[in-house]
Amino acid sequence: MLALIIDDSRAMRMILRRIVTGLGFEAIEAGHGREALDHLERGRVPDVCLIDWNMPVMDGYAFVTEVRSRPEWRHITLMMVTTESEHGQIVKALAAGAHEYVIKPFTPEAITEKLELLGLVRDGALV
Amino acid sequence: MTISTQSFAYVADLVRRETSMLYDPGKEYLVEARLLPLAREAGHGDVDAYIASLRTDVVQRRRAIDALTINETSWFRDNAPYQVFTDELLPPILSARAHTRRISVWSAACSSGQEIYSIAMLLHEHLPPGWTTDLLATDVSTAMLDRVEKGRYSQVEMNRGMPAPRLVRWFSRVGAEWEVSADLRAQVRTRHLNLAAPFPFGLAPTGGFDVIFLRNVLIYFDLETKRDILRRVRDLVAPDGVLILGSSESSLDLDQQWTREAIGRVQVHRPVGARATAYTPPALQGA
Amino acid sequence: MTADIEMGAEMGAEMGAETGAHPAAPETADVLAVTEEVWRSFLGESEPLLPGPPSDRAHAVTGAVTVTGGWDGAVTVTFTPEGAAAAACAMLGLDPTDVPSPGDVADAVGELVNMVGGNVKSLMPGPSTLSLPVVAGGRVTPASEDREVVRLDLTWTGHPVTISVHTKGSR
Repeated sequence: MLALIIDDSRAMRMILRRIVTGLGFEAIEAGHGREALDHLERGRVPDVCLIDWNMPVMDGYAFVTEVRSRPEWRHITLMMVTTESEHGQIVKALAAGAHEYVIKPFTPEAITEKLELLGLVRDGALV
Repeated sequence: MTISTQSFAYVADLVRRETSMLYDPGKEYLVEARLLPLAREAGHGDVDAYIASLRTDVVQRRRAIDALTINETSWFRDNAPYQVFTDELLPPILSARAHTRRISVWSAACSSGQEIYSIAMLLHEHLPPGWTTDLLATDVSTAMLDRVEKGRYSQVEMNRGMPAPRLVRWFSRVGAEWEVSADLRAQVRTRHLNLAAPFPFGLAPTGGFDVIFLRNVLIYFDLETKRDILRRVRDLVAPDGVLILGSSESSLDLDQQWTREAIGRVQVHRPVGARATAYTPPALQGA
Repeated sequence: MTADIEMGAEMGAEMGAETGAHPAAPETADVLAVTEEVWRSFLGESEPLLPGPPSDRAHAVTGAVTVTGGWDGAVTVTFTPEGAAAAACAMLGLDPTDVPSPGDVADAVGELVNMVGGNVKSLMPGPSTLSLPVVAGGRVTPASEDREVVRLDLTWTGHPVTISVHTKGSR
């Protein structure tokens, strides 16, 4: 299974890569939403995207909106991973079509449990 | 690593007895990390000195236990029991209690409250209009009960197993924390209770509890106490009620007073021939 | 815990009618809580973040973010060079004996201040925007009209670390 990590912070991408590859995912990365869309448009369609909100060029919210507007990408699981933790922001992201939301800071267990909630992982490994 | 084997053993035992959480050997660094700030604040040179003080200082003991158990519980823990609760246990209860339209659930050893509030959220989502709930949360730790009543959880605690749609539905931000809605908090009653001691009169509603969650606490009592607890719990469960233990807990120690049924990955236990004291026949109710 | 707090008691009085901005401050306890959570999550539990004496040494590496909108302010996280290197190793999963590159240090410190700042942002009135983090050598000199409203002098793995929150604008 393929995970796409979208965050302008290299440190965060490294941390998330460690977590998802530890679960058995293959991981690809993007520094912003536009770069992430390029992956998809070139045929590298992930099973799950871990998406930061605040990024240059195209932010995470815009990326979610775009992906959810394309029928061929409807099956992709979208999980925000962000410092944006106001109630209204979370509502906004879910309304735009994000399936899950992790607030930074998070522990590896938190990411794993969210992926379990989403049915992608079970007992610490890919389903 | 400065913590002594003796200190670690004392702390691990204390936490296990008070909260049922397990600190295995190898976790010394965690105990040290979590207690060092408290030790310094209390003016001790090191963690060993601080731990020695816990033997007589009840206030510090409470603080130590809270620091050692924070962030360890999650919402909808193990998921399967909650799935079974809504999919398999609830429909028959809705039929069986159609005349009272009331469901009662007991979270025994409730800790910081994630279990009882998880249940409360599910009931809101699945109970038809006009139904009421009787939700009891008990624990031996008054600090934990305080937490349940306040219903405040840190960002890190909220990340553990809480689906985002439920987060936004049931919680609001208060400072750096998230607070359970007032509606939900009002539905949960808390009571201080030591499982190993006789239960106070009036703990259960008339007829007994429909569902009792007794998860991840029994395994830390000795066999005799475990049996005694289960005997007394059986007096408080409805004749058609259900007991749910922790996912990794073997129910081999249960005697013939309970039957065990597997529903998916979850074992549920039903009382055999429940005693009349827990059950008031309908003719006598409201008398 | 040494905390030089200015809670802005006059915050109600100065409504800043021209700009609409409210001079206000987060609670010190809340800033400490978010900082501890960031540290615990990404720098490991084996070395806790502890209260520490104020130190002038802890200003060799500074990460900063600004918040603009419903609240205007800045959040900084400062380290000694050794502390910053240790943080980079812990966060990026490098061997503790490795010497992280300047890029590694900038990435790690930048993400730490991003997370602390992002969480401080959501403690304050919104809506607001969080800037990209900037990491530099030395300390931030606040603007003449900025006020430090929260200061946490801490210690991590024996290195001093300082968290500071400034509010922009006059009293």
